[in-house]
Amino acid sequence: MSSEIVIDPITRLEGHGRIHIFMNDSGDVDRAYLQIPELRGFEKFAQGRRAEDMPQITSRICGVCPMAHHMAGTKTLDDLYRVDPPPAAKKVREMVYDAFMVEDHALHFFFLGGPDFVVGPAAPKAERNILGVIGKVGLEIGKEVIAARKELRGLIEEAAGKVIHPVFGLPGGISKPISPELRDRFVAGSAHAVEFGKLALQIFRDVVLSNAEYVDLVTSEAYTHRTYYLGLVDELNRVNFYEGRLRIVDPNGNEFLTFDAKEYLDHVTEHVEPWSYLKFSYLKDVGWNGFTDGPDSGVFAVAPLARLNASDAMSTPIAQEAFEELYSTLGGKPVHHTLANHWARIVELINAAERMAELAADPEILDPNVRTVPTETPREGIGVVEAPRGTLLHHYTTDEQGLIETANLIVATQNNAARIALSVDKAARELIHGANVDDGLLNQVEMAFRAYDPCFGCATHSLPGQMPLIVQIHDPEGDLVRELRRD
Amino acid sequence: MDRAASTLVLGLGNELAGDDAVGLLVARTLRDELADRAEVVESSASGLALIEVFADVDRAVVIDAIKTGRSPPGTISEMTVAHVGRVLAPSLHHAGLPELAAVAERLGLRFPSQTRVFAVEVEDPYTLGAGLSESVARSVAEVAARVRDVIDGWEAENLEVEVEVTTCTTSTSPRRSSIT
Repeated sequence: MSSEIVIDPITRLEGHGRIHIFMNDSGDVDRAYLQIPELRGFEKFAQGRRAEDMPQITSRICGVCPMAHHMAGTKTLDDLYRVDPPPAAKKVREMVYDAFMVEDHALHFFFLGGPDFVVGPAAPKAERNILGVIGKVGLEIGKEVIAARKELRGLIEEAAGKVIHPVFGLPGGISKPISPELRDRFVAGSAHAVEFGKLALQIFRDVVLSNAEYVDLVTSEAYTHRTYYLGLVDELNRVNFYEGRLRIVDPNGNEFLTFDAKEYLDHVTEHVEPWSYLKFSYLKDVGWNGFTDGPDSGVFAVAPLARLNASDAMSTPIAQEAFEELYSTLGGKPVHHTLANHWARIVELINAAERMAELAADPEILDPNVRTVPTETPREGIGVVEAPRGTLLHHYTTDEQGLIETANLIVATQNNAARIALSVDKAARELIHGANVDDGLLNQVEMAFRAYDPCFGCATHSLPGQMPLIVQIHDPEGDLVRELRRD
Repeated sequence: MDRAASTLVLGLGNELAGDDAVGLLVARTLRDELADRAEVVESSASGLALIEVFADVDRAVVIDAIKTGRSPPGTISEMTVAHVGRVLAPSLHHAGLPELAAVAERLGLRFPSQTRVFAVEVEDPYTLGAGLSESVARSVAEVAARVRDVIDGWEAENLEVEVEVTTCTTSTSPRRSSIT
């Protein structure tokens, strides 16, 4: 009997969607996909508004990664007004952005992704949560996570006005310089963040890498796709979250393209499917070849592992060691194992913390010259940052008064959407046999996309949040034959 | 205000997304009026990112949007933390209050000893710039009034406690404990 299993909505993710799993007559998975609700009307909502309000407006779309939207919007305004911010403004922006990357990655690793690995994919569902993580790593580390995030959020708030809705990015710079006192707090905070990153890496080594079963899971075929990878890199092809060129490597790890953010739309375009509101980004230069991997498929990935794959190195010493350890352990570059995203996320957390420390120690960070006032007439602007969840692009056109005519956001989860679809389908096919699916197996299907840390919040311009899980199994006629709820 | 002995009024939601703004708007309505009696916070954060907001407050009122599809839009549900985990669609933002409370307890963080949740059934939380639908907009004043009642009630309870403490301490010590 053919049937459909629906996992709705997905637990522990920021945002909500549902997974459909269609069973065939022999009890195996025919196909599986994610379906996501839509937040409507962004383009219309933006029309006629002042371009300089976009960093604030877009940061309000979603409570999950407001700083990423704020920064992408701010960089888009730089481009729109053809204005180059003073060096100190760029450095402060990057330092604050790095603080955000550390706290967001920490949240995901311990609270959202941690339950899969730290507690374990097959653990009883009652333990697969943050309480289980605390139980496993100990109370002190639990307190450390809370304290580290609190300190970083305090720094962001002081520098950017607000954590959730920052107000400091302006076209051509930032709204206020950094005071020596705040710089000192960033120096101290970044030192704590580096230690915290080292601790997270040690936990990963102790809990995941020392467990052969977990390593087998990470490297298993169910979680492996040989795709292209995209990420922002600096002039030495090292990971950078705030600025650089976009670099794509092919499934063999060779450079395929490097280009400026402004050329993004020349190289990346969208595929539409009737079953999803989410559009699927793919590489124009390769072409759409369905939900497949390999060099002939334009499917690519963004987010931590993709950024590492698309780079030659990390820009800081401890992160570089961690980067080398990851690739030597997993068989060299590129690594195609989706679940290695969790490890890559810790490498990036360390990198962001170290980079924050470098910038805080840079005497130029105190330069009061943090604004170049725009004088050009605006027309079109494109800005890119690496959000925690991957490459994020804003694209605005305006009239001569700077009022928005069109506004388009290409968010990380949209860039990852085709590979996520591939991951859900493949994991379901490999792991599920027979309609009598248990909770652990469903969780392992969810793990296939949870590793990307997808934020459906802004991918569909939908809402942040987490909801209970509903599983529905339908027979070939579409009738509901079984329903499971996981609250 | 001394946060160690305070009341939190927390409105959750997305200001841009139609009815989803209801929790924020209720909080905004009460902001000036309750300025001396509670810390009024509007937030679009979700889940464990909210733990710092709850840390070190004594009592909390949370206002949020809910979409069960089983009640008419504008319907107001009043819950305690224990109830939140049991309702079918707890929140669009899944404040995850029971989980937050459990984490706080495990880590030895202070968490509100009393929490009340007002959830407003919404119609369309998906359209940017749509504003509140009529039925949800009509509920704002009522939710605000009920939040006010809860805080009045808590303060009355505390007053009683304070009177007892005062009575007790005047006979034994000149110092009086301040509860609020």
